Order: sequence, then C-alpha cells, then structure tokens
Amino acid sequence: MPDIVLPEDLQAKQIFLILSAPGNIRECNIEIIKELSTRGYHSLVITTNFPYTILKKLYGESGVDLSGVYFVDAVTHHTIGSAENIPGVVRNVNNPTNLTGMGIAVTEMLNEHKDEKICILFDSISTLLVYLPSTDISKFIHFVTNKLRLMDISGVFLAVEKGLDPMLMTQVVTFVDKVVDTG
Amino acid sequence: MWGKPMGVRKEKVHESCPDTGILVDSALVMIAVLDEKGTVTVWNHTAETVTGYSRDVVVGSDGIWKLLYPAKEYRDLVTQKITASLATKNYLENFETTLRTKSGSSRIILWNTKKIREAGQTRIIAAGLDITESRNAELFRESIVENANIRIAVLEKGTVIVWNKAAETITGYSREEVLGRRDVWKRLYPDAGYRRTLTRQITEIITKNRYFENFETEIITKSGEKKILSWNTRQTGDGEACQDIAIGLDVTVRKEAEAALTSYMAEMALRLKGPVEVIRDNLSDISHLLREGKLDPDDILLLLEVQVKNAQKIALNVQEFQRAIAEKHQEIPEAYRKFLAGE
Repeated sequence: MPDIVLPEDLQAKQIFLILSAPGNIRECNIEIIKELSTRGYHSLVITTNFPYTILKKLYGESGVDLSGVYFVDAVTHHTIGSAENIPGVVRNVNNPTNLTGMGIAVTEMLNEHKDEKICILFDSISTLLVYLPSTDISKFIHFVTNKLRLMDISGVFLAVEKGLDPMLMTQVVTFVDKVVDTG
Repeated sequence: MWGKPMGVRKEKVHESCPDTGILVDSALVMIAVLDEKGTVTVWNHTAETVTGYSRDVVVGSDGIWKLLYPAKEYRDLVTQKITASLATKNYLENFETTLRTKSGSSRIILWNTKKIREAGQTRIIAAGLDITESRNAELFRESIVENANIRIAVLEKGTVIVWNKAAETITGYSREEVLGRRDVWKRLYPDAGYRRTLTRQITEIITKNRYFENFETEIITKSGEKKILSWNTRQTGDGEACQDIAIGLDVTVRKEAEAALTSYMAEMALRLKGPVEVIRDNLSDISHLLREGKLDPDDILLLLEVQVKNAQKIALNVQEFQRAIAEKHQEIPEAYRKFLAGE
C-alpha cells in the first residue's frame, strides 16, 4: 500500500488534508499513525470520533509503539460524563463544541512534547460537523494550522471525502499545504 | 376670453344661444355679475346650488361675500387680490378661494373674473368653477403617492416630474436634486457598463410590452449603499403627453433574507447529511470490528453511547432547523416551501 503521507512532505513540516472513503476513516487513521510511528514520529491524535481508549487499543493491535502516541479526547467525557486526564498521554475536553478547550489542550500537549519529533492527527473534520457550524470549524482549523506553522510541526486533518460542503472545503484547502484523496 | 377652464365663450354664446340669460343660468359654473359698487346683479343657478344661497337673497346686495367668506382677514385678502388685479389688468384668472356654504361646508372655487364696460356702466363678471371634488381627489392621489412605502417616479420624456418620499428615503436623493432633471439614473447606476446593459434590457422589454414587471436592478444610493429594487412601470398617454410611471420596491432586505435562508439551508443540509453518514459509517465500523473480535463489551458500550450522543445532537439540530423555518416561513422562497412540503 502506498504511503498516505510522503516522508519528504513530513520532513518539510507540511500540513495535509486527507480525504477518506466513507467507512474507511478509522482504517485511514490507523494507517497514518503506523506510517508516522515507522518514520520515528510521535503522534498527537485529536479525536472527536472514537474514544482514545479504543483508538489506543486498535493502534496497539496494529503494531504501533504506544509510548509515542498522545491524545486530546473530545468524545469520552461528553459521552460518559467523566474522563481522567493522564499527564503526557491524554487530555480530555468536556465537549466537541468546546473549541477553546480543545485549542488549549492541543497547545499544552504540544508544549509537553516540544522536544520530540511530533505530528498531529485530527480525526475528524466530518465528525465536528455534528456539533458545530462550518464557520466555527473553519476558524478552528485556521487556528490549529497557524499554531502548527508557528511551532514548525506537521499536521494531518482527516475528513470523509464529499462530506464537506464546497465552501468549507475551499477554506480548509487554503489552510493546508496538500490534499490527499485516499478514496 | 377670460375664463380658460370655464368653457363659456362669448362668441359661441351669440352664435348658438341668443338668450344670454338662459345660457348664464344653465352654465355649469357659478356666475355672478356685480356692479361697480359690488352689488350682485346676477347670481345663476349653479351659484345657488354650490353656495346654498338663492338669488332672492343675493341679488341686489353686496352682503353675500361676508356670508361666503365669514373670516374677515381671509375676506380682506380675497378682496385686495381681486381689486388689485382688476385695477391693473381688468381681469384675474385662476384665482382659488375657499368659501363657506350656507350649510357650513367648505368648497374650493377657481375664479375667473373680468371687469367690463357696457352701455357706459362698469360690470364685474365672476365665474367660479367648483373644484372641491377634483382637488380632494388630487390631494388624495398625492397623499397616496407621497406616503406609499414604495418608490414612485413619474417621467416625462425622461425628465423626472414626481419623486415621492419613499424615493427620497430609498435613494438618498431629495426631490430638489431630482425633479426637472434627467440625470438621476446616472447617479443611481454609476457603472456605465451596468447602465448600458439595463438600458438595453429595459428597451427590449418596453418595445414588446410598453411596461415591465418585477424587473430587479441594483442601485447605488447617495451614501454609496447598494440596494436592490424591483421595478414595475406603466406608460400613460401618447406622443407628447406620454408619461412613464416607475414604481420601485426596495427588496434588499428580502433578497438578503433569501440569501441567508439559502446559506442556512445549505448549512443545515450539510449538518444533517454529513453527521448521519458519520453515524452510519461508525456503526458499520463497529460491526466490522465486532466481527474481527477486536472489541470487548465495554468498548462496544462506549462506542454505541458515542453514536447515541451524535444522534441526539443531530435531533437537536433538526429541531433547531424546524424552529427557524417556522419563525421565518414568510421569507422562504416558494420553491423551498414546496420542497419542504414535499410538493
């Protein structure tokens, strides 16, 4: 299977929008984390879809070194009403609509791991649409991509192909360096 | 000829009706003849009908004017105006007064008065046309035009002759800046290309129909604001008497509401379709993971609860959508309403 994210692009600290076929987004997520892990990258996974416990388990089963994978989880607390932060491993955000909280958590996690070769994975823009208007999503992605560029960090945003409206898609495309359609 | 609007011509009187008395009495205008001292010598039937005072009361006295103009100040004003005019020109045309009738009502009379000398005697002939009804109708029309919340402009050979309050409010140009001029369109449509396109379209439509309906244009107001007007026009008269009545409705807010609604519906469609697909794909994925034996019961429970939360949020979004539609149903374009109603 060809690489989803090319090593030279990662090296260049590029920011990607990865479009996945419907029903394939979880596999795409795991594949990217595997690629990052293989190339010696640590990963910060911002999840608004699958709880971090499940992702961690699935990554482990796929052979990913879990010591290099960290999480900002916006699902678990919202679903079960509570979730425990584990320093250096996971930070929970109470609700996917809490973009400020999510921004703070991402910033803090990146600061905690600032000496590491790290890449973020945002899973996914499509799920955020359950909770937020596209204008807010666009602003948030703009904020995160700016933060990544300032910190000189590579990032991957996942979305279901044809799941974004043309206006949002146009905006997101302007924030990233490369769009990869895996469908 | 002393009374243009009266239609009583001396020449014709002699040609067609030798009996001047019958003519005077059957005239549809008030006719009063006064001697040099102001004593009324003739008071025709129409004068009786309009004022309510019979000739028996009026003729032979000059007291009728106090009855017709009971307010001294106003009476003096009328008297001065007539006296001054007759002294210099021997006639007074189209002089408008408001008199009080015997029953107490007011009538507006348009007078044409002439001083003549006949058989060595001076006579003043006053012919009065009761214009009360036409004046009231005119005022009523003016009031409607003036107070309409739509822009009304009347043009005569391209020159603006009526420009109502709404036209002033919508465009920012006062009637003083517009009336009697032809260049307001250049100011409202400063882009020459756009103006040419509009002119061509309007010419094409008018050539076919002599009018157009619901023709939308974008004007630039005096303050530089863009507004969308929906135009309806009519032509009245022909040739030299041709007038164009242009009625413009400011549809800017409605258009903005339509655009907002379209954006809103597009966003809602996105926020319903996408999220439902997210749940579908997640459930499909959970089922796939279950078949592979990768999930334990706690994982399944957690993943299903996430999907429940997602579904709850979608249901809330739908409620919000319904509420917004109900609140704004007046603004929904017909096509959307039909779509929503499943027609």
